[in-house]
Amino acid sequence: MKVTLNWIGEFLGAERLEPENIASVLTMSGTEVKKVEYISDKYKNIIIGRLVDFSPHPDSDKLSLCEVDIGSSKLNIVCGAKNFKKEDRVAVALPGAKVKDITIRKNKIRGQISEGMMCSEMELGLSSESEGIMILSSNCEIGDSFSKSVGLDDVVLELEITPNRPDCLSVMGIAREISALIGADFVVPEYDLQKRLNIDSKFKIEIEDYDLCPRYSAKLFRNIPNIKSPQWLKNRLILCDVRPINLIVDLTNYVMLETGQPLHAFDKDMLYSNKIIVRRAGKGENIITIDDSIRILDDDALVIADEDKAVAIAGIMGGKDTEISENTKNVLLESANFYGPSIMRTSKKIGLRSEASNRFEKKIDPMLTVFAIRRFEDLLGKVANFKTEECIYDNFKKVERERKINLRVGKVGQVLGKDIDAGLISDILTNLKISNRIKDNIIEATVPSFRYEDLQREIDLIEEVARIYGYDRLDSIPIPASDRRGKYSLYQKTIKDIRQALCDMGLVEVINYSFISAESLKKFKINLEDRYKNNVKILNPINEDFKLLRPTLLPALMKNIKDNINHNIKDIGIFEISKVFKKNSSGKLPFEINTLGMMLTGKAVQKGWNEKERSFDFYDLKGILDFICKRYYPSGSLKIKEKQYRFFHPRVSGTVNIEDLEVGIIGKIHPVIIEETEIVQDAYYMELDMDKFINNIKETKKYKFIPAFPSIDIDLAIVVDNKIKSEDIVNEIKESGTELLKKIRLFDIYRGEQIEKDKKSMAYSLNFRDDTRTLKDTEIEIIVNRILENLGKKFNARIRE
Amino acid sequence: MQRSEIEKQEASILFRDKPYKIMSKKEKNISGLEKKIKIELDNFTRELETVKNLIELDNLRTKYIGKKSFLIKTLKNIGNLPDDIKPIAGKKSNTVRKKIESDILIKEKIFKNIEYENKLRKEIIDMSLPGRSTAAGRKNIISQVVEEIEEIFIGMGFEIAEGPEVETDYYNFEALNTPSGHPARSLHDTFFISENILLRTHTSPVQIRYMESHKPPLLIIVPGKVYRRDYDVSHTPMFTQIEGLVVDKCINFSNLKWTLETFVHEIFGKDRKVRFRPHYFPFTEPSAEVDVSCNICGGKGCRVCSGSGWLEILGAGMVDPNLYSFVGYNPEEVSGFAFGMGIERICMLKYGINDLRLFFENDLRFISQF
Ligand SMILES: [Zn+2]
Repeated sequence: MKVTLNWIGEFLGAERLEPENIASVLTMSGTEVKKVEYISDKYKNIIIGRLVDFSPHPDSDKLSLCEVDIGSSKLNIVCGAKNFKKEDRVAVALPGAKVKDITIRKNKIRGQISEGMMCSEMELGLSSESEGIMILSSNCEIGDSFSKSVGLDDVVLELEITPNRPDCLSVMGIAREISALIGADFVVPEYDLQKRLNIDSKFKIEIEDYDLCPRYSAKLFRNIPNIKSPQWLKNRLILCDVRPINLIVDLTNYVMLETGQPLHAFDKDMLYSNKIIVRRAGKGENIITIDDSIRILDDDALVIADEDKAVAIAGIMGGKDTEISENTKNVLLESANFYGPSIMRTSKKIGLRSEASNRFEKKIDPMLTVFAIRRFEDLLGKVANFKTEECIYDNFKKVERERKINLRVGKVGQVLGKDIDAGLISDILTNLKISNRIKDNIIEATVPSFRYEDLQREIDLIEEVARIYGYDRLDSIPIPASDRRGKYSLYQKTIKDIRQALCDMGLVEVINYSFISAESLKKFKINLEDRYKNNVKILNPINEDFKLLRPTLLPALMKNIKDNINHNIKDIGIFEISKVFKKNSSGKLPFEINTLGMMLTGKAVQKGWNEKERSFDFYDLKGILDFICKRYYPSGSLKIKEKQYRFFHPRVSGTVNIEDLEVGIIGKIHPVIIEETEIVQDAYYMELDMDKFINNIKETKKYKFIPAFPSIDIDLAIVVDNKIKSEDIVNEIKESGTELLKKIRLFDIYRGEQIEKDKKSMAYSLNFRDDTRTLKDTEIEIIVNRILENLGKKFNARIRE
Repeated sequence: MQRSEIEKQEASILFRDKPYKIMSKKEKNISGLEKKIKIELDNFTRELETVKNLIELDNLRTKYIGKKSFLIKTLKNIGNLPDDIKPIAGKKSNTVRKKIESDILIKEKIFKNIEYENKLRKEIIDMSLPGRSTAAGRKNIISQVVEEIEEIFIGMGFEIAEGPEVETDYYNFEALNTPSGHPARSLHDTFFISENILLRTHTSPVQIRYMESHKPPLLIIVPGKVYRRDYDVSHTPMFTQIEGLVVDKCINFSNLKWTLETFVHEIFGKDRKVRFRPHYFPFTEPSAEVDVSCNICGGKGCRVCSGSGWLEILGAGMVDPNLYSFVGYNPEEVSGFAFGMGIERICMLKYGINDLRLFFENDLRFISQF
């Protein structure tokens, strides 16, 4: 919200308001000043001139050569407008002035010297369009600064008003706040707010539901003068980002900005009858609003209607039919109070927010309505010399708007950590217009109507005391020592360790949005997998890309490698630890599974002066998996069970299992998907359910004796059919190897000329040991022979010569 | 033992017999042999000094302890000596032989070391060549900063709590003093899953969940992803927050100030100033926004801090007593404070990052910088 300092000053009994000081006290009391804008700076080097004479430009029909008196000298200015005459007062931008971000310079226009520029209202930022230059009042002093002459010698404060302070959504509210902060008087015009109801009037206001409209005040203005808004009024509106329209509308806006009470003016003659009804809309009822849109309402929207139809959406926007026009003679001025949550709901539903709805949403003070009408009346009288004896119609439900709160002085100290003197607390409250008296260390406070919604409890008053006293004056005290044990849980620590381990192994951690498009699930054929069905849908997504909560990290990681490949980074190992989502039964929160996704693509080893280049393959990924599993399941065996997923290569696709627990999937991205994604290099993906993985870690480490007797290593190379799996061979070796066999390690696979086609040689290193004695070669020989014999029986394996 | 000492010792063994003693014939025979042996040793010692390489040393070995050398021959012929001289003669010549052998070995080692060293010196290794590469992994900047913050608070006695990213309206709004129709709701543009289920707009619901299941004293921080329906240059629909909550018997606003000042000094440096400004949040009372002095301009005001000299980094306040009634605490018995911050913003201020969208584009050229 914007307010100007001069405007605020009208309500303060202070000599002079120092802009920076006001900004600082407001900010430090909770009304943050985002920006301080010195308007006179914008009009630097723009001064008042008198048009002495003018003649046509010799080389142009459109231009004129003007002689302008600026007091200290006379300037020659080439001008394109025609709307001036001799002796007119004009705004002259001298060289160095900035007009619409362009710096004015002395130059030649079609051969004629021009020593400045005569400005239009548009160029001066005072209207969105203008014909010709701005002609000023003849009262303006020649040579004076333009901003001073037209009342723009002002400072605009841009404020952030928190939602709990609807009373501050106005110039008067801010002035009242400043008065409490700097100790100046708050000066309000005194109007008669009581003598208002004309009993035997023909005009009626009917309120169907006082909960939605606690008060509706209105007044008729007959035969209003058809004049334009004065410049000062327009200037203030412009400085507060409100576009001037016509006198009546400008005044409603002015009073709203000033008092915080939204006003709406109807063209009385366009109303069907002498009756205003505040009612709920009929289902599907529609209205064309003043912005020329058709608004379709439902039955929880509140409308202002005559006996024929709705003429305004209550508190949000008026209807086109009853809008004030140039021909309006009689005006019905509405000053009402509507129920905030209802206005908020309707405004959200129809997607329309206005200055008025923004104020109503925050629950403004119903005591303001008549004051605002009086203020309007007062200003209309001043601006247009207009007087009316009409009454104010006022329909309302009587409500309690005064609240008594007891504030314990001791509680203030308890909450703030610093004892504050009762007298000081009392003074602070008094300055905030909260009347109070001190009684036995309790302050009995009475909250005024304009703070009724905001100040309800003792704690609310403590906050008032704290913010006016100043947070910077409060102490800084360590938390009292109590039962503290700062630490990570085992789960959190494990996640952190795994993240660190993966980084140490050369992987980079990515973080992607939790959203995914249905399209992208389709593209990777994820939608066809049972595992990833039952997705969580977002009712109001930003767009199609954000429609679902992702059931897997795969598409995001694919996108990451593609994006990076496009940046010519082709050798990539990335991982992400994030939640994936799955629908739960209706009404329940979805399942959230903390998931580790990992993808490798490109080269594992770059070609180097001492290294051979090598691409990532499945075993790089499996190696990382092995590493993590060994760390947390030192004696649990990791198994990859073949299982086909449509997004994986049909032969390199499986589930990850620790013993019998399935914890994830692993595989090579299907070459067709790779092609379709235009990645042109193999990619490997693995996904682990971190919750399952971590929550099943049971192993507690226990010391095992370091072997006291030497072990014997035997290398064994066998030739088997190509399709025999290493895992099966290993299992058989284990089986036949007795408990003396402690380790098996595959160290070579050979296919080629030295053995038959369709066969491979597998070379294993076997390690035998007994913890109680030194083994004899002969006994190992017997075991090895038995292993060979069994391998022969089972896999038709023979020893490689 | 030093070499000279060894020599001395050996010599004392050799000439144990006192020279002034009147000698018998037998003694004369022995002393003749002794003399010869001594001369042999003296010659050897002298020649050893002049030896320049392993070949010369080998020649020396042949000369003094080779098959045809005097010493070896003497030792071989000891059997022919008279019985009474035998043991002494054998002992003496053997001692000298051993001494010569060991001297040669010592010398040999010296020569071999020199030779080895010379050989090594001929090898050419360019130590300026690049080392064998190790893939450079990297934690995401968000994880790094989250962990850094976690560790700061763990040091102050906090635990880490977590909660669901998809929440009920109750935990996200209602139990946080923001019932339907509350004006503060319009500040949170929310993604809905159903009428009452939504993507949490802040990490604050975990405050309620944690208090429901724990009794004071409690000190927690809650890191996590949050979602708001905003997508432009300065908003991403998902971002990261860290929430904090402390509840105990007599927690006050001054404790809040200390905690956050300590935190800011840890993460941004002791030289930064901290400012608490009154603000409004539905679930804290009194509420504050916390600013840290701008490091770009040193507080004078610049583009980064929009001229104010301060950078906003935290929202905080005393837990509104209403919240305690939602979780079954007695507001007259306990008090506490809560705070929250956006991690991406902390990262941006800490590292001078000017574009929020970089955090979720996962450009490795970005991630690898931190
Ligand atoms: Zn700065």
